Amino acid sequence: MFDLIIRSMTQRKMRTTLTIFGIALGIFAVVVMGGMSEHMTLTVDKSLKLLANNIQVEPDGTFGGIGTLDESKIRQVKRVPGVKDAFGVLVTALDPEGGGGGFGGGDMVFGVLPEKQMKDAKLTSGRYLIPGDGYKVVVGSSIARKFNLKVGDELEMKSKRLQRSSSITHTRNVTVVGILEYTGSMFDSAVQIPLDRAQDFYKMENTVSFIYAEPASGTDASDLAKRIDLNVEKVKSKSPEQLRKEIEGQLVIFGLITISAAVLAAIIGGLSVMNTMLMSVSERTKEFGLLKALGAERKTILVMTMGEAAIMGVIGGISGIGIGAIFTHFLNKSFEAQGSALFAITPRLIVIGLLFATILGIVCGTYPAYRATKLSPMEALRYE
Amino acid sequence: MNNSVPVLRIRNLKKTYMQGRIPVHALDGVSFDVNKGELLSIVGPSGSGKSTLLSLIGLLDRPTEGSVFIDNVEITKAKESEAPRIRREKIGFVFQHFNLLSTLTAMENVDIAMRFNGTKKNRRKERAFQLLTMVGLGDRVKHKPSELSGGQQQRVAIARALANEPAILLADEPTGAVDTKTRDVIVELLKGLSEKGQTIIVVTHDMAVAEQTDRIITMRDGMIAGDSGNDMR
Repeated sequence: MFDLIIRSMTQRKMRTTLTIFGIALGIFAVVVMGGMSEHMTLTVDKSLKLLANNIQVEPDGTFGGIGTLDESKIRQVKRVPGVKDAFGVLVTALDPEGGGGGFGGGDMVFGVLPEKQMKDAKLTSGRYLIPGDGYKVVVGSSIARKFNLKVGDELEMKSKRLQRSSSITHTRNVTVVGILEYTGSMFDSAVQIPLDRAQDFYKMENTVSFIYAEPASGTDASDLAKRIDLNVEKVKSKSPEQLRKEIEGQLVIFGLITISAAVLAAIIGGLSVMNTMLMSVSERTKEFGLLKALGAERKTILVMTMGEAAIMGVIGGISGIGIGAIFTHFLNKSFEAQGSALFAITPRLIVIGLLFATILGIVCGTYPAYRATKLSPMEALRYE
Repeated sequence: MNNSVPVLRIRNLKKTYMQGRIPVHALDGVSFDVNKGELLSIVGPSGSGKSTLLSLIGLLDRPTEGSVFIDNVEITKAKESEAPRIRREKIGFVFQHFNLLSTLTAMENVDIAMRFNGTKKNRRKERAFQLLTMVGLGDRVKHKPSELSGGQQQRVAIARALANEPAILLADEPTGAVDTKTRDVIVELLKGLSEKGQTIIVVTHDMAVAEQTDRIITMRDGMIAGDSGNDMR
């Protein structure tokens, strides 16, 4: 039966090609849009992994952005039973004029205590920060690539302060002492500098953005987060679990928008399959009538037409994924030169794309196939 | 050639179409028998019910009333799901416009009829070649319909109709689209098959064709107006 399907497809080369192209375009959109969404999810995943089991404490009332906490809160957090240790981190945008910061993207500066650096991210060269370091920084892989930095190079930091109606931008060069390897997390776009220097440079003395609390062994992170909220005023604590849920909640909306646009494109591709198959069935009315007269079962005719639609779906799906993968690969390459990748073509995405294309082909082939099986051989043979 | 075994029995066959609100009696109580190996032609003016009769025998359509028995099985009682099997096993069709599949070679056009029957590939190939050789196209098996003349195409169609060794070969104007020389070749072929025991019913306008058959049934207004078989009996 397969050979008959292939013949029917190759007989109408132009139409088959256009239909496959339609599906491929739809699946291409699914892959590119999905790849963007997948990349964000992966980044969040890896970032959260690097935060380990720490509870993030932020000022109560900040929503999405970065707020400020007085350092005195660190001592209060430390006193909460079940907290092994707590430390502050100051987070700002590397380029205050360019925006950015937070988990979404953009280059960031992390003011950290040298002894509390995340050492899960390995160094490709140089060293981690050590206590007593002055204006020394450890940079992420994307930053290093973007600014073409080696250990020993200087990096310019900017701070912007509002003074009445105008603002003053201060700049200062800092020395790179270490470069982290690629982690796929937000640390790739981060510059880590000793906390005291960051506070000094940004004129944010005694201030941190977040406090991270390490739970003592055997302490449940969610319970501890609630306990911190009860014991320390005006803070909101989030266990890694809660943090993940919150970020995923934000990503869902982004994912929905991208995916629905892509699905729309794919459905249009599917409609082109339906159109092609309907045309093909009406063109082949006589052929189906003949096959029935020769004793073909309805099932056989169903398999022939639906098989054709499904094969077009599969070929369209594979081409769409292929083109999408190549496209995002080159786009990633060019974005990487500027710092960060944008797309991740995950196995999950490939499976979804392929499945979607096949199902689309089959679903859109069902009605034309049904029409083909309903033809009376008599009527079909008279059809000219 | 008639050895008096009826392969086909038709009893009081009626077919009524509704043309708007007016009933049209395409067939109005037709009964006759056809014996094994008989070469029978059905003639009559357009609209006399010849083609309707053929499509009812071939199970391409259902009668309003009456019965068709092939090999003593009442095919008009068969369920819709059984129709394809009966068409495959009992009937071979030959059409005026050949109706070959244009993308397939002569060999594949014969082969396809056997596929639906579940015949093994080797056996199909062997039989297709044998049939094409029999109709005189042994050297044309790899040709597509577009590379064959009308007469050659019709011979491929006859080979295809014979592929599953049907009880009856039904030919609807088999010479309607070919020249007189080719017509004679096809008629000779059908006569030869009949002599080998193949039951054949030919619907035709062409009296030159009908006159070469064993028996002629003349139809008029959905009824049998004459049967040379009865005259002889």
